[in-house]
Amino acid sequence: MRVLRAWPVLLRVAWAEMFAYRAEMVVWILGTSLPLVMLALWDAAAESGALAGFTAGEVARYFTAVLVVRQLTAIWLAWEFDHDVRTGALSPQLLRPMHPLWWRAAETLAAVPWRVVVLVPLLGALGAWRPEAVAPPDVATCGVFALSLALAWLVGWCVQVCFGCLAFWFEQALGAWQAWFFAWGLLSGYLVPLALMPPSLRDVAAWLPFYATLGAPVDLLLGHADPWGTLARQGAWAIVLAAVASAAWRAGMRRYGAVGA
Amino acid sequence: MIEVEGLSKSYRVPLRPEGRFALVRSLWSREAREVRAVEDISFRVAQGERVGFLGPNGAGKTTTLKMLAGLLEPSAGRVRVLGHRPQDRDPRYLSQITLVMGQKQQLLWDLPPRDTFALNVAMYDLPRAQARDTLDELVEMLQLAPLLQRPVRNLSLGERMKCELAAALLHRPRVLFLDEPTIGLDVEMQAQVRTFIRGINARFGATVLLTSHAMADIAALTPRLLLIDGGRLRFDGPMAELTRSLAPERQVRVRGERAALLPVLAPLGFVEEPDGMRADVPVARVNELLGAVLARMPGADVRVEDVPLEEVLRRAFRGEAGAPA
Amino acid sequence: MAILGLVRTALAGAVQYRASFLLDATTGLGGALAVVLPIAFVYGRAPSIAGWTRPEALLVTGFFLLLQGFVGVVLEPNFAALVDAIRRGTLDFVLLKPADSQLVVSLQRLSPQRAWDGLAGVAVLAVALRDLPAPGPREAAAAAGLFAAGVLATYGLYLAVVCTSFWFVRVDNLRFLLAGVLDAGRWPMGVYRGWVRTLLTVVVPVVLVTSTPALALRGRVGPALAAQSLAVAVAMLLGSRWVWRVAVRRYGSAGG
Repeated sequence: MRVLRAWPVLLRVAWAEMFAYRAEMVVWILGTSLPLVMLALWDAAAESGALAGFTAGEVARYFTAVLVVRQLTAIWLAWEFDHDVRTGALSPQLLRPMHPLWWRAAETLAAVPWRVVVLVPLLGALGAWRPEAVAPPDVATCGVFALSLALAWLVGWCVQVCFGCLAFWFEQALGAWQAWFFAWGLLSGYLVPLALMPPSLRDVAAWLPFYATLGAPVDLLLGHADPWGTLARQGAWAIVLAAVASAAWRAGMRRYGAVGA
Repeated sequence: MIEVEGLSKSYRVPLRPEGRFALVRSLWSREAREVRAVEDISFRVAQGERVGFLGPNGAGKTTTLKMLAGLLEPSAGRVRVLGHRPQDRDPRYLSQITLVMGQKQQLLWDLPPRDTFALNVAMYDLPRAQARDTLDELVEMLQLAPLLQRPVRNLSLGERMKCELAAALLHRPRVLFLDEPTIGLDVEMQAQVRTFIRGINARFGATVLLTSHAMADIAALTPRLLLIDGGRLRFDGPMAELTRSLAPERQVRVRGERAALLPVLAPLGFVEEPDGMRADVPVARVNELLGAVLARMPGADVRVEDVPLEEVLRRAFRGEAGAPA
Repeated sequence: MAILGLVRTALAGAVQYRASFLLDATTGLGGALAVVLPIAFVYGRAPSIAGWTRPEALLVTGFFLLLQGFVGVVLEPNFAALVDAIRRGTLDFVLLKPADSQLVVSLQRLSPQRAWDGLAGVAVLAVALRDLPAPGPREAAAAAGLFAAGVLATYGLYLAVVCTSFWFVRVDNLRFLLAGVLDAGRWPMGVYRGWVRTLLTVVVPVVLVTSTPALALRGRVGPALAAQSLAVAVAMLLGSRWVWRVAVRRYGSAGG
């Protein structure tokens, strides 16, 4: 298969590109790590007894895991894609005999090593500040976590393809992406752990795609969720959203061919 | 090879209301206007031909080229290139063509061109040895060697265009679509790009279709001319034929001091020019006029020229003198 | 007059994007919700956290939303355009105009659709004040003044950070960094301790910007805190002005 043969080169060039952006990458990774400051609120809340059953240590561990998952599954496709469609930069990409998303995927994956490079000292600092926040998991958990992380990446990727495709119809499609992002913040476990939500909300949120992209791997890493059920829901979302994304792409291509850029 | 029949393309363009409260009304206004970018164009191109699309801005040149490359779907008509329907964007089709856009780039902005080349070799799935040979050849023809290691953002416009061309030709396409390949380049660089395109056409036997509004591109590169104006094909044929039908006359120019020329030449039908006087006459009358001029002004600085290409085209776009359709 | 003209052109640019205009408005409310809900959640079980009661924390949230509205309407669109202009060399057009270049790059675009955060902020402030004794005119004036100072400080901070794109290849990511820093302003000052607090009240004073006006409404701002807020605002403004000058001079000498 053409893509498989090309893949090593794609990764190598994408890595070179990320290397050229290293300073910016570090800035970005630090920027997206800053929400860790929110730990301050949770600490204070835990001290005031606002978090029934959750100790300050558990909260710290939870948000540290959120940081790790968020960094490793970070995707910025929707922005790039929106830009490419609006400016017509997509056209040259469409003339190559390979789907443009393969290259974008290579770029995203090539950034992962950089994230690890920034994460490690960050986690080290966290460990010094709050030792209970960083506890290494056992091997079995690691395996489940890795699988869940991959599925989270895939779900997030498909979602961004869908929102990126909106740019074929709307001039500022990123507005819709923002709406998704806020819902994601509330329901994925990013702002509030699902375990601390009211039970009725928690039951709904656990079935939604937001949770599949963040909360699921975090809870699996910390042993807070049933592995197989959670992985199955993530897998189901990956399949459904991949189908939606590919339909959106095809419809978008028809639109692009009709209107051009 | 390339067959185009009754090709048309129209867009709906939303209208922005004017007048008072226009800003507010544009929030819900749904008015749109149908713009016909290309209307009922037909032509055929044989393997190895070099064809130029010429026309003013917005004439439909780029739209036509994009339809041929498969980026735009025709509203009506039939297009076949190398036996494919371009809009299907079959990888087998894309592997045989290339489109170079003077105003858009495929080069990765913050990396040296070498990396884009490597990426293209992978994406087009080219055999390594062949890719290396082609690249060596392109580097030689375009003198790219000193540029290969510098990030694209640090290259000049002309250097970037040369690298774009190399990236677009690595897979040895059989058909080259070139959209304004010399736009923004200085004269020297324009000449280099033209020489290169001719070379590719000669060496690889590639078919070349290019759009331009630089007359020199057309004059130097494409023996066959497609004149597009207002979305319609106004002329299809060799440059010489266009000149013959639109500008059959010759221009007789006499250079010299105005005061000396005016009393002698004005009665012969000459008009003033910045550095002398000029008369436009049918070919049959040239000898007679020359005789008359030299009889009155022995040793005069006289030249006989064709009507310049720019003037021919101005006439064509004005639809003058029964431009052949 | 020059400013009015700039604003009008900026509005015209925004309205062109009709469909997304309405979309942005709705998502703005979603964003505001995302800021308020965690507070509501955390205070569900405890009446007071780190010495701040719920209505007091909501005051901070209200000012935070107002600040976010300002950032969204004015700072982000302009500075995104600035970064783009530096990258593509089109900043030349701005520098050629016979107006103060810093003013032009700061005010050439507006995103009125992002004003929803600000409106939500007003609503949150109103809700919070319902549960508190009404502040007198002196308290209200102090809060308004301190918040205005904070807004200017934020402007200075943003401009100074964005100016680094004159030096670095690609800094779209600064947006994330700044948004992350700004985020710290959501919570009341009391929850931050030690060096984190020093960082967020002196170096990147976002916590100061949102918490001091809230304290002022409760009549709890002493002269020291007020002086610190004003000093930070002045320092940020002067500092950013200086950074802008240096940056533009560098841009000129680099020769596009």
